[in-house]
Amino acid sequence: MAAVSVAAEWQLLYNRYYRKPEIYSMQWKNKVDLSRNKVACAPFGGPIAVIRDDSKIVQLYAESALRKLRIFNSAGVQIAETVWKNPGGRLIGMGWTDDQILVCVTQDGTVYRYNIHAEVIESNVSMGQECFEHSVVECVFWGNGMVCINEANQLFCIPDFKNPNPIKLADPNLEELPLCIAVIEPQYTMSGNVEVLLAVEDHVLLVEEDGIQQVGAGVGPLQKMVVSRNGKLLASFTHDGRLLVMSTDFSKIIFENSCETALPPEQLAWCGMDSVLLYWDDMLLMVGPYGDPVRYLYDEPIILIPECDGVRILTNASMEFLQRVPDSTVSIFKIGSTLPAALLFDALDHFDRRSAKADENLRLIRSSLPEAVEACIDAAGHEFDVSRQRTLLRAASYGQAFSSHFQRDRFQEMSKTLRVLNAVRNHDIGIPLTIQQYKLLTPSVLVGRLINAHQHVLALRISEYLGMNQEVVIMHWACAKITASLAIPDASLLEILLDKLRICKGISYAAVAAHADKSGRRKLAAMLVEHEPRSSKQVPLLLSIGEEDTALSKATESGDTDLVYLVLFHIWQKRPALELFGTIQARPLARDLFISYARCYKHEFLKDFFLSTGQLQDVSFLLWKESWELAKNPMASKGSPLHGPRIKLIEKAQSLFAETKEHTFESKAAEEHAKLLRMQHELEVTTKQAIFVDSSISDTIRTCIVLGNHRAAMKVRTEFKVSEKRWYWLKVFALATIRDWDALEKFSREKRPPIGYRPFVEACVDADEKGEALKYIPKLADPRERAEAYARIGMAKEAADAASQAKDGELLGRLKLSFAQNAAASSIFDTLKDRLSFQGS
Amino acid sequence: MAQIPNLDNAPINLTSIRDQSQKELITILKNIRGKKCLVIDPKLGGSLSLIVQTSLLKEHGVELRHLTAEPIQTECTKVVYLVRAQIDLMKFICSHVHTDVSKGLQREYFVYFVPRRAVACEKILEEEKIHHLMTIGEYPLYIVPLDEDVLSFELDLGFKECSVDGDMSSLWHIAKAIHKLEFAFGLIPNVRAKGKASVRVADILNRMQAEEPVNSSDMGVPEINTLILLDREVDMVTPMCSQLTYEGLLDEFLRVNNGAVELDSSVMGVQQEGKKIKVPLNSSDKLFKEIRDLNFEVVVQVLRQKATSMKQDYTEMTTTTQSVSELKDFVKKLNSLPEMTRHINLAQHLSTFTSKPSFLGWLDMEHTIVEAQSYDICFEYIEEMIHKQEPLVSVLRLLILFSVTNAGLPKKNFDYLRRELLHSYGFEHMATLNGLEKAGLLRKQESKSNWLTVKRALQLVVEDTDTANPNDISYVFSGYAPLSIRLVQQAVRSGWRPVEEILKLLPGPHSEAKRSGFASSPSLETLPGTPSLDKVGDGRRSLVLVVFIGGVTFAEISALRFLSAQEGMAYELIVGTTKIISGHTLTETFIEKL
Repeated sequence: MAAVSVAAEWQLLYNRYYRKPEIYSMQWKNKVDLSRNKVACAPFGGPIAVIRDDSKIVQLYAESALRKLRIFNSAGVQIAETVWKNPGGRLIGMGWTDDQILVCVTQDGTVYRYNIHAEVIESNVSMGQECFEHSVVECVFWGNGMVCINEANQLFCIPDFKNPNPIKLADPNLEELPLCIAVIEPQYTMSGNVEVLLAVEDHVLLVEEDGIQQVGAGVGPLQKMVVSRNGKLLASFTHDGRLLVMSTDFSKIIFENSCETALPPEQLAWCGMDSVLLYWDDMLLMVGPYGDPVRYLYDEPIILIPECDGVRILTNASMEFLQRVPDSTVSIFKIGSTLPAALLFDALDHFDRRSAKADENLRLIRSSLPEAVEACIDAAGHEFDVSRQRTLLRAASYGQAFSSHFQRDRFQEMSKTLRVLNAVRNHDIGIPLTIQQYKLLTPSVLVGRLINAHQHVLALRISEYLGMNQEVVIMHWACAKITASLAIPDASLLEILLDKLRICKGISYAAVAAHADKSGRRKLAAMLVEHEPRSSKQVPLLLSIGEEDTALSKATESGDTDLVYLVLFHIWQKRPALELFGTIQARPLARDLFISYARCYKHEFLKDFFLSTGQLQDVSFLLWKESWELAKNPMASKGSPLHGPRIKLIEKAQSLFAETKEHTFESKAAEEHAKLLRMQHELEVTTKQAIFVDSSISDTIRTCIVLGNHRAAMKVRTEFKVSEKRWYWLKVFALATIRDWDALEKFSREKRPPIGYRPFVEACVDADEKGEALKYIPKLADPRERAEAYARIGMAKEAADAASQAKDGELLGRLKLSFAQNAAASSIFDTLKDRLSFQGS
Repeated sequence: MAQIPNLDNAPINLTSIRDQSQKELITILKNIRGKKCLVIDPKLGGSLSLIVQTSLLKEHGVELRHLTAEPIQTECTKVVYLVRAQIDLMKFICSHVHTDVSKGLQREYFVYFVPRRAVACEKILEEEKIHHLMTIGEYPLYIVPLDEDVLSFELDLGFKECSVDGDMSSLWHIAKAIHKLEFAFGLIPNVRAKGKASVRVADILNRMQAEEPVNSSDMGVPEINTLILLDREVDMVTPMCSQLTYEGLLDEFLRVNNGAVELDSSVMGVQQEGKKIKVPLNSSDKLFKEIRDLNFEVVVQVLRQKATSMKQDYTEMTTTTQSVSELKDFVKKLNSLPEMTRHINLAQHLSTFTSKPSFLGWLDMEHTIVEAQSYDICFEYIEEMIHKQEPLVSVLRLLILFSVTNAGLPKKNFDYLRRELLHSYGFEHMATLNGLEKAGLLRKQESKSNWLTVKRALQLVVEDTDTANPNDISYVFSGYAPLSIRLVQQAVRSGWRPVEEILKLLPGPHSEAKRSGFASSPSLETLPGTPSLDKVGDGRRSLVLVVFIGGVTFAEISALRFLSAQEGMAYELIVGTTKIISGHTLTETFIEKL
């Protein structure tokens, strides 16, 4: 039965099963011999970098003496290659970072970085002068950092390749090179900084940036050390052939195992968290905490690539994956297993062969059906073989059919995951992730890595399938396409890009356009920007590609004045003033915004603008305003030198107004203003009172009359051609203010007042001089006015008489109301009103 | 009573909008640790008083100051400026920082712009070399609910900026505010606009929808059915007329600011020499809600009636024996006593103004100008006012009314009156006159006025209005129906089509649009405004949002409330505005301060 053959491939380590299926047959077909090359393999099924090892003497078979750096995927399919021409001596260390950047360290301490397409990432980093002088001897890499040691036994590290600044660690004061080095990653240390373990003599030194510490005294000498994946355990090989597993703080020994030889293994690696692998020339030994170790024999060199749940074993011909068999798989396939899951799997087999035993099996496990189904699904997830995945899933669905309380989602989820995994495990992609690695890596990082490797189609499909945002994929694709399509003309490339960009709503055309611009394709950038719906993104980009006029148009169209200001200031800084003026003169909104800003802040510049565009009247207004600014200066009104400049400004304004020919009114007004200021200034000097300047003409006249200076008042009147009507009003109120009733009366008699006697009456009434008012009321021509006036001073009878004379019933009514308190008065009104109504008015 | 209005009975959930604004402000304060000095520009402070209590701000370790030219006196090392994004305010901030630097004071500065950062303001900070000292952020306050049915965008100078300075920033802000409402209440399907600015706002709103769409598929029927945008410019006559509703008169004479009037305490019967008292006025005051929209003549009667009935109840109380429940009822009625006292005091105070013959004369003249049949009488009246040097704002108000109804003044009169103005009030007002001319409010007559045609066609002047039981909106001005509201009446009833001819006579273009974007809309093919299809699920009437770009008066709001309450009215009307204005405040924005 199928079940037997599955378990036969397993190895038992004490009570646990391990399996080592072959995942790939390497596609590089004899082109790579691991024994002659330096190899760096990235975890999570990542790429493999291969370069001829120049520390080994080899015979070249029809190869160039120049070394080539080649990058393959985990299935041995070549992704890229480049010639290694870097100076700096021997290549000492090579490793992959979490961002899939290949870091190469040469003897002189230079750090070269390559991306997955074997393209150099600019700016090499140097580990420093000390590394240059004393060659780098060994490097240890982890996730995003690296530590190296040089001949002078000094340690240097780059804690994070995102900001590759080398740091020197504390001086371990060694006389000779340590026996071996291991590193505890920053994310697992308490301090958050990397800790380096150096095996020296019989103990271990813990080296950090600012100090060293002796740990593990007496535990050594250790010939090889490696830290586990969670930073908590350390596996080491002692000088006397023992495998020692301790906690990383050396406080306790977890277990120890005597190996047959005292020769240190070539490679020491953790397999998940359960066992340790030791590799000597032809033997791979797997040691667990209990029981006898497992041996695997190899007749060719291998490379161990630790993963989170096992170890990948790379040979010239194949890639295998050594892992502990998952519990669910064990429960199904272990020989003689009678666990529900196994029975279910069996039941399927029977079902396929139309045997009634299927039903028997099912009955046996009826109560544990859900667990059985779950186990089948789980086991399917751990399989690399597609047909076995299918069978397990079928077993699960078979069991599900008989179970009512089951979550369908689990099934769908697993199917989805498996489809994705199968797709990336394909040779062409070559990322052999297990389900555990996939979950740890997360789908979005996987998609990111696919994009990085330019596998856009798959990345897009996966992100769509998993419901992720496709924008990332499409954006990257678009940018890469632009970079790669230098030969394709703008218009056709635009079509190609738009075709895909349209898939994703809300994608930033502006960002793609920016990339196009950086690649030197300005026209294409301009075309792309057209499609960006958000003006707030469109306009800044147009500015950066130098399309200022278009930017201004777009900004104006959008109605967002902030954007218009942005463009305005940009042009202001870049172009000379006259050009700026010309550009904005044609655009009303920009021009008006410029004026508003400049008015507050750049007065002189604004004047230049108006002058250059021939808007003289606007300059005049500015000058006039400036004269008022001068007025605010406390010195101005005291007749000090500022007075003269003020008038000069106004006169300048006047002449500019006159030049325009359409502003005669303003010109005249400015002229009068200047004249007024002069007169007021003189008045202040003669009267020694600083009350005239900046009052209006009417106020000046009033003040003069109030001060008794009638001659001056008349002078002002004639100078400014004050009308009779206005003159009378001003004089009446001025005289009333100083309560000069005699003068008022005299004035009223001079001639028939052009404004009638109402002003006289009002002035007296307002001043509460009823007696004076009575002098003028009878002279009022209109009886209505008389009635109102009498009413105001409280003379009801006279008011009523006047009103009835006017035959105005409505007036009577209204006046009556004002006498509401006075009963006698009201009755008078009533009688008269009645009388009127009888008369039919 | 609080100045912050109670919004529980609002037709749409305005409380959530206000709470959101409150939360955002508190978050800004919380993100700055420790004690800080919050400097607010005074106008903004007024708006904030409708959103959040000062006590709440103080709870978050905040010292409050107003932004003035004077440097800030405080012990705090952190100074937070909360200012509107106006260029002229930047000068104060710059001078403060320079003073601090010269004194060697080390402070941390934060500037939060309302409602969003402005390139122009930041440029000034850069030019003054203090930009690097500032942490800059924004406080997105776009809408302030003034009452259950009134929203303000707090754009004081919008009208002047657009018409005189050509600065259209306020239009973008209005569109943004409306767009925010759409995110909360659904995409507004019908948009009608009249006026240059309104049509632009509708256009910008469509752009915003394209750039940042409101996802209408997961909302149900949108709560706001129609958006009507009106330029103030379309109807400059109404704000220049004296409002005759209770609330309108309060604004005309006592200036209602951010939902309250400030008076001498003696007016309100509180004996405190020289102290001012703030009286809040919003719909939480039930009596106010009842009388605010009535014509003032009627208000006096209503108050008298209420006082009398209260007195009656009291005498009944003392003379006959009451059951406990009757006692309870009476005591409940007594609760309205403070409100009654308040409004009786206010009404009495108002009457001292309204009973003056000069006021009546003024009203008369307004009426004459609006009738537009006696040019010379009006001209002479205004001329006399100028000669007598009556307050400039009042003169300008009448003058604008005169100019607008006559489509400008004949050149001779135009120049003559302007000269008289400059002579009477000073040459500093040349800039004011220039601004008014640019805005088209006081200009030379170029073509014949079509005011008479409009007046007749829309029946703006109505004889025999019964102010006690009005049947038409003309009661708010005792015989003149606000042109703007007549237009709204039309727009709501049957759209712009029937009045196209008249619209052409009024300044500015007009537009009408139906916006799609929501999944199931049955009414796409039917005429706009058909009542039956526009009910929101639970039988409530659907809403029409009327937005005035440039300002709205209390009287117009009263007229809208009147319309909303009419029988057969298919919609409920709510008002949005850049600011609440009166003739005085609108005119004052044009007076250049030199």
